[in-house]
This record gives sequence, structure tokens and C-alpha cells, in this order.
Amino acid sequence: MSKKSIGLALLLALVFVGWSSFFVVDERELSIVVEFGEWKRSVARPGLQFKLPWQTVYTVESRVLSSDTPPAEYLTLDKKRLVADPVTRWRITDPLQFYQRVNDEVGAKARIDAIVNSEMRREFAGRNFGEIIGNAREPLMLRVTEEARKQTRTFGIHVVDIRIKRADLPKEVQESVFQRMRAERDRVAKRYRSEGSEEASKIRADTDKEKTILLAGAYEASQRLRGDGDAESIKIYANAFNVDPEFYAFMRSLETYEKAIGTDTSMALSTGSEFFRYFNQQQK
Amino acid sequence: MRNQFDDEDQPQTDPADAVAQAAEMFRRNAGRFVPIVGLLGLALVAWLGTFTVAPGEQAVIRTFGRESGKRGPGLHFVFPFVQRYDKVNVEKIQQVEVGFRGEERVPLEALMLTGDENIVEAQMIVQFKIKDPSLYLFRMDDAEGTLRSTAQVSLRSMVGRTSIDEVITTGREDVQRETQLLMQRLMDQYQSGIQITEIKLQAVDAPDEVRDAFHDVVRAREEKEKLINQARGYQEDLIPKARGEAREIERQAEGYKQERVLKANGDAAKFSATLAEYSKAEKVTRQRMYLETMERVLGSLKNKVIVDRELGRSTLPLLPLGAQGLASLPAVGGAK
Repeated sequence: MSKKSIGLALLLALVFVGWSSFFVVDERELSIVVEFGEWKRSVARPGLQFKLPWQTVYTVESRVLSSDTPPAEYLTLDKKRLVADPVTRWRITDPLQFYQRVNDEVGAKARIDAIVNSEMRREFAGRNFGEIIGNAREPLMLRVTEEARKQTRTFGIHVVDIRIKRADLPKEVQESVFQRMRAERDRVAKRYRSEGSEEASKIRADTDKEKTILLAGAYEASQRLRGDGDAESIKIYANAFNVDPEFYAFMRSLETYEKAIGTDTSMALSTGSEFFRYFNQQQK
Repeated sequence: MRNQFDDEDQPQTDPADAVAQAAEMFRRNAGRFVPIVGLLGLALVAWLGTFTVAPGEQAVIRTFGRESGKRGPGLHFVFPFVQRYDKVNVEKIQQVEVGFRGEERVPLEALMLTGDENIVEAQMIVQFKIKDPSLYLFRMDDAEGTLRSTAQVSLRSMVGRTSIDEVITTGREDVQRETQLLMQRLMDQYQSGIQITEIKLQAVDAPDEVRDAFHDVVRAREEKEKLINQARGYQEDLIPKARGEAREIERQAEGYKQERVLKANGDAAKFSATLAEYSKAEKVTRQRMYLETMERVLGSLKNKVIVDRELGRSTLPLLPLGAQGLASLPAVGGAK
């Protein structure tokens, strides 16, 4: 071994020591520094970091992760079954606790799934189906989130939120819902149809009524007018004829004879009548 | 085995000697090597570290893993190995389909429960862009998967608060708007760095299993309208006609009244005029009027029988009365 070889070996050793004295923490990571299995410190700040060459570094993800719990059937307060598919978003806040308690993401997901499942089961059991579907969903999931947060804190995990991706009825129940929907629609359709004929009958009846009233009104007015006319004419005749009723009777009788006795009328005339007054008596 | 590849004439050398020889060579020619190696190194660094950012993109630079700056479009340089860059398009509008993929429907995503416990099928397009590249790159994992599931969460929450009739008809816009708001709130909460630019509800309809029944409702509604319109037509037809008829009746009556009055006036005038002259020579005028009338009446008769007063009592009943019959005499005896 020459002096040169020793120098070269020293140089290589120095490079190695220098190399292993630094480590990089990425924006997406959290790190812990471990010395012979013993935790030294946690590093959350990204950038170039210093460590002793014999210390080792473990990194975990610092981004928001999601855990899609498989869909499961839950029983609601009103004994209906509901298939819900929750999705949990979480991130690692304490890499040491995380590393010690759950080791890795797969382990963490399994624990989270179990907790979410049992919490949801509990919350769902206290609520009616309709509430879970509708307005109670938000506060309910907030409570599940709150509870899961508490239980996972010791894993070095912060649960951002838990949401129900899908909340459906079990396959067997769906068919009965469809049947109910069909029945409901039939009812609505029938209602529309009968409403239509109701409305139409109303309009027709109103129309007929209006027509009858219109005509009756006209009849009333016309009869009044006719009566007025008759009355007025009676008054005029009476006024005129009352001057000499006898002359009126005479004249009217003459007119009547003329009108009543036509050319086809057969007539037997007695010579004793007034008309033949002068027929037999020449003497004055 | 080695001999197969190695030149047999080459003398076996000690590795240390070889290194020493190389060092010796390098020391002797250092003057010539340094500038060449240096230039080559610089060229390599320049080549590895230079990059361009296209319009609409942003590059995020990390130095030793830590974010150290952003670069807009143009030519840029980083120190290789020490610095890294990620390019993100912050202008491009991207989209995710929920409930369908292209032409194909995905019932598992599309079928959902409404507030009144009905099932509806809804399809939606979510359009988004990256508004904060740092958050997008470093704060959330699996952007695409998160977008998709968050879209479902949001849509289902909103549909779950709405009745089926509303979702299908008037409430659609509301559902769309509320879904976008909720989705944006969640995506912000996840520090996704994503902006939801638009949510478009595509088909919102009853599921296949009950679609016929739903369409029947639509038909029924149309039938209702039709029935009402027919009745309105009847109304429009009948009422004006009736008004016309009523008017006619009234006008006829008015005419009748006028007629009566006018005729009465005429008759009265005639009577008064006649009476005025009659009064002047009552006896003669009366006789004349009577005889003139009788002349006209009896003169025109075709069938006359004149019976003597004496015979009258016995013969009259035996007279052959014609088919027309005989007017009785007393009618002629008006004038005294």
C-alpha cells in the first residue's frame, strides 16, 4: 500500500462521511432521525438537513391522503338498511407516533377504516333513513369525523374529513323503491288526467251557464221592451178611441167585416136584417 | 472463463498501480485536461439545468426539496441535482365525468337517492383548473381520484336534500350551483390547489326501471292541458255566439216596441182624423160608411143566399149547406 492509496482512501472516506451527514426533506415529506433505533428528532421543515453519519432517516408522506373505505351495509334507527361508501381524508402530523403505532400507510388505512366503520354504524343507528339521506348528513358526518379524529390522534394522524361518497339502498330494496316510485307516478298521472277533465268540465259548465244567463237576460230585456211597446200602444189607442168609443166600435166592426169575410165565404142573408131595410119597404 | 475475453498478452497489474499510473498521467497532463473537463462539465450542467416553460404553464422550483420559487413562461435554468422543477399548466380547463365515461353510463356513480327517498339518475361534468401549483403539487395526493369522489360526495349531498320532482325540473340549477359551492369548499379544505370552474349537470332523469312511469306523467300533464284547451275552445266558440244571439233578441224586441208605438200612433191619427169629419155629419157618414163597406164585402162574395124573413124560421135548417158552410146572419146586423 503506497502513501497515495492511503490518501485516496481517506478522501473517499471523507466524501462518504460528508454525503451521509446531509439529507433532503421534500415538500411532500415529514422525516424522523433515528440513532441506533432511538428517536432523535422529527423534521417537518423541507430543505437540506444535517445529521450524524450513523443516524438514519425515515420519511412519511405529508400530503393529504385518502382512504376509501369499502361500502358497507348500515342499519338505521327506523330499521332500514343503507349501503354507504365513506371516504376519509387524512394526513400525517406526527411522523414518530405514526411510525411507532401504525408503521405505514397501509396499516394506517386499515385502522382508519375500522374506526370509521364502527363510528358510522353507531351514528347511523341513531338516525332515521330520511335524515341520513337529507339534511342530517352533514352534522352526522361531522360527528363521525370528530370522533375519528380523537381516536386517531395517537397514531400521529389528523383526519381532515369523512364524507359519504355513496349512500344507496341495498339491491333488494331498490326494486321495492322502484315499485313505489311507479305507483306514485301513476297516481300523479291519474291526478293530472282527472284534473284535466275536472277543469275542462268546469269551463264547459261555466260556458253553458254563461250562455243560458246571456240568453235569459236578453229574453228578460226583450219581454220588457215588448211589454213597454204594448203598454204604450194601448195607451195611445185608448186615448184616441176614448174620444168616441161608439164610433170606434162602429168603424172597427166595419174593418173586421171586410177582413173576415173573404170572397169564398158562403152567406145566407135574411131580408129582415138591417142591410135589407129598404128591400121590402118601398113606403116611406 | 475470463481468459476468453481478456488479452492474454496483457500483464496482470495491481489495481493500486493502475490508479497510481492514471494519477501520474493526469498529473502530467493536468494542464491540458482541466479546461476540457471544466468545459464539458459546464456544458452538461447547462444542458441538464435548462428548461422552457410553455405559455399557460408555471414551473415550481425546489432546492434541496424545499420550494424556492416559481417561474412563468420562458427559458429558465436550475442547478441540476440540487434543484428540481415541476411544470404545471395553470390555464388549461380540465374535466372529469361523473356518472358516465364518454358514451357509456356508469350506474353505480349515476344512481342516487333523493330527499324524498326516490332514486334518480344524474350525470355531471366537472371542469376545473389548477389555481395554486404549490398546493397542487405538494399538499394533496391523488388529485384526480379526489376530484371524482368529492364530486360524487357533493352531488349526492345536494340531491339528497331535494325532492325528485325538483331535481328533474326546477331545482336543477340550484343543485348545480350548490354542488359547485360545496365541492369548492371541500377541495379547499383538502388544500388541493384546484379551482372548480364549472359544474354542468347533464341528464337528470328517472332511472330506466321507472322511466316509463315518469314519461306517462309528462303525457298526462299534456293531456290535461289539451283537455283544458279544448274546453277553452268550446268557451271561445260558444260565448260570442250567445252574445250575438242575445243581442238579436233584444234588437227584435226593440223593433217590436217601436213598431207597436208607431202603428198605434198611426191608427190613432187615422181614427182622430176620421172622427173629426164624422162628427160634422154623423148620420149620413155613418150610413155611407156602412153601405160602402157592405158593398165591398157582399159584392165580392161568390156564394150568397138571400132568405125572406118569413121563410127564414122554417126553411133555414133545411138549406143545403155547402162544404164551406154558411156564415150566420147576425154578423151583418151590426149597423142599427
